[in-house]
Amino acid sequence: MATLNDFTVKEKPQWCPGCGDFAINLAIKNALAQSGVEPQNAVIVSGIGCSGKMPHHVRAYGFESLHGRVIPPASGIRLANQELTVIGVGGDGDGYGIGMGHFIHVMRRNYDMTYIVHDNQVYGLTTGQTAPTTQKGMKTKSTPYGNLEEPVHPIPLALTMGATYVARGFAGDIAHLTSIILGGIKHKGFALIDILQPCVTFNKLNTYEYWKQRCYKLEENGHDSTNHEKALEKANEDWKTNYDKIPIGLFFKEDKPTYESELPQLKVPLVKHDLKPVGLEEAMDEFI
Amino acid sequence: MEFTWMIGAEAGAGSMVTGRTLAKVFARGGYHVIGYPEYPSLIRGGHNTYQIRLSDKKIHSPVKKNDVVVSLNRNGIIFNRDSINKGGVLIYDSELDVADVKMPEGVNVFPVPLKQIVEQNGLDPRMANTITVGISLGLIDYPMDDFFKLLEKEFSRKSKEIVDLNIKAAKAGYDYVKKNFKGHFPIKFKPMKNNGKKIVIGGNEAFALGSVSGGVKMFAAYPMTPASSVLHYLAEKERDFNIVVKQTEDEIAAVEYAIGAAYAGVRAGTSTSGGGFSLMVESLGLSALSETPVVVFLAQRPGPSTCMPTWTEQGDLRFALHASQGEFLRVILAPGTVDEEFYLGAEAYNIAEKYQIPVIVMSDKFLSESHFSAERFEPGKVKIERGEIASKLKELKPMERFERYKLTRSGISPRVFPGTPNGMHVATSYEHREDSFSSENFEMRANMVDKRARKQKLLEKEIPLPKIYGKKDAPISIICWGSQMLPAVDALPMLEAKGIHANVIHFSYIYPLPKKIRAMLKSAKNTLMIENNSTAQFTGMLKEYLSFKPNVVALKYDGKQFFPEEVTKVVEGAKANNFKKKVVRVVDEGEYEYYNPAAYSEVR
Repeated sequence: MATLNDFTVKEKPQWCPGCGDFAINLAIKNALAQSGVEPQNAVIVSGIGCSGKMPHHVRAYGFESLHGRVIPPASGIRLANQELTVIGVGGDGDGYGIGMGHFIHVMRRNYDMTYIVHDNQVYGLTTGQTAPTTQKGMKTKSTPYGNLEEPVHPIPLALTMGATYVARGFAGDIAHLTSIILGGIKHKGFALIDILQPCVTFNKLNTYEYWKQRCYKLEENGHDSTNHEKALEKANEDWKTNYDKIPIGLFFKEDKPTYESELPQLKVPLVKHDLKPVGLEEAMDEFI
Repeated sequence: MEFTWMIGAEAGAGSMVTGRTLAKVFARGGYHVIGYPEYPSLIRGGHNTYQIRLSDKKIHSPVKKNDVVVSLNRNGIIFNRDSINKGGVLIYDSELDVADVKMPEGVNVFPVPLKQIVEQNGLDPRMANTITVGISLGLIDYPMDDFFKLLEKEFSRKSKEIVDLNIKAAKAGYDYVKKNFKGHFPIKFKPMKNNGKKIVIGGNEAFALGSVSGGVKMFAAYPMTPASSVLHYLAEKERDFNIVVKQTEDEIAAVEYAIGAAYAGVRAGTSTSGGGFSLMVESLGLSALSETPVVVFLAQRPGPSTCMPTWTEQGDLRFALHASQGEFLRVILAPGTVDEEFYLGAEAYNIAEKYQIPVIVMSDKFLSESHFSAERFEPGKVKIERGEIASKLKELKPMERFERYKLTRSGISPRVFPGTPNGMHVATSYEHREDSFSSENFEMRANMVDKRARKQKLLEKEIPLPKIYGKKDAPISIICWGSQMLPAVDALPMLEAKGIHANVIHFSYIYPLPKKIRAMLKSAKNTLMIENNSTAQFTGMLKEYLSFKPNVVALKYDGKQFFPEEVTKVVEGAKANNFKKKVVRVVDEGEYEYYNPAAYSEVR
């Protein structure tokens, strides 16, 4: 069975010292090792942004796509070969901004994949503009007088769009993060893992200290993750308490058929199909 | 022997389906058939037409004139009356209020009480189409057995009763014309003995079948006229073909599904029109830089923006050629016939995989949605060539990656698919080293640019010369690309009848344009380019890449393709002018308007 070392590459990531991305990188590799997946059977798909560098720092197959386009190639990969473990990795701008359309629709489909969102409430790689999850009032480079928009709330959004595994992690707690990513990998269906992750360079509000003071674990508070209504209640707790109480952990999980399992064409993965076409002669008869 | 028939009706009246069925009847009879639909962008109302042109000789294009026009609405008479040949027939519904409509002269005007025929025979009013087919077949003395067989094929899924009623409707029409047509219409013909195996197929369907023959396994698309029928057809057949077809949330997703699937190791494609292609632009660059093959089918319509969604143009060529930031190799193909849609469509997947590049297959509304009789395609003739794929790899050292982007002499580095041991790497949109890790080293960057560009050399060897239709040494050459070879080739006999000898040089491989083509173009004597756009885009490409300039350029950009009669006229004019006039503008005549209040009252 593959170990953490098997998922490790030579190159050290060039994130800012103290960036939450290091923790996420380690948690992904830990979770992969614990899941029993071999490096050649895992594909890390990313967009562009600080998070977009992730595929280069996990020794598996990788696909570094365009900004906002994590979900579509990840979906194509799943449809082509459902034997692969597909993990999408993006940022909040990538997934909840430019890529929001894909995010909404992928949850309706329940492909078996894990989608990890580095949610640091700011645009990092483009040097500190407002993000879809930036809190109202926060000053950024593109909102110097304070952000006027309400933030996107990814967890309730995912719950109402039909995601079948919805969790939130915190980059300051690697062991906990590893366990929810592992849960996402093992889950047969679409797993959203939103990760509260301090941007040490551009976000002076949502720091490690900020999250540590406010986050508490659902697992330790008797939350029933099979109860959709309770999950929704918990999902809205952060903004309803003006970010005094922020639950992390698994909000909701349910077993539902995956999109792939409902396609008779995928009895055998497409990559293993014989390329010799079938049904063409019969199809041509219909044009006579 | 030639015959041209047209049916016109409001959208939603079913005349398009009826027209296509009749086209099949004649193809079964051994004739060469063209089925040509025109319609505005609405679901009910407006005015749709479907023209059938048939001949005992090979034909390629619709023509402007009709022998018989069937009209189920007022507009059908007003818009099409001038298209009827002298001695032809105008059949229309006598229930229509046409007291104020000027009828064509020198034509048999034949009103038919469709409502009465429906009532007397206990039919459904929707069967008016079928009655008019019966009338038309009666008019030309053509036996109805093939029509009955097709009605059965079409409606047996619904019920035997509907089949029987339709047959009854056809017979009632046939009998009506036999009893009541008192005019003179000399065109009569029977099925020819020799054939009956031809298919009647549209450009989009032919491309779809070509894709399947070419081994496509995943096809993702978002609906957009005139490309949608690729999606419809493949979606309907996905289980029969054992492929996965996905309608995505937008065109960005569609092309990226295809790129993702291709990375994972299957042949994948997408289809769209100009608007959707605009959304795919950034992803073309992703395909190029990550060296992941993808096939994009681009069925053009007039632009920019929404423009005239159900009409045709060749206005997206320069866009396709330059789409996406940066510089990279791509291939543009433009089939001219349904055969080329099939065989070249299949070949597109070979080129994409062998060279690991985006391939754009350009069609247009005219070729995509018109129907053409053709010899049955032969999937056995399609050879699948996947290019270099590594499967058994040497063991990687710990922390090491596979050298996916190895700097090879040919520029082609073997691909490896996820799941393959020791092949771990990143397919990346970032510039990279040979082992795929991001790199901003200047020499590496330059080397990678050169590596990717080097593939063109090998690729150019594979690109055939343009096809010549007609005599090689003709004194006049009509040059064209994509669908416009259809009217051009059909202009040749028309020109011949006027004593003008010409040939057609047709490009279906549009880019790259290897230098070897130059000699062929230079040897042409008098040259005339026809393009379905306003800025002579391909003419410009020939000048840029082959230093070639045609004598005359004829441009049409009114929403319709060239007709053979127009090509004939342009060539005649150019010849009379000693090929001196540089640019000729061609516009359709006719009273058609999408919304035409005048058509509702000519006198009032």
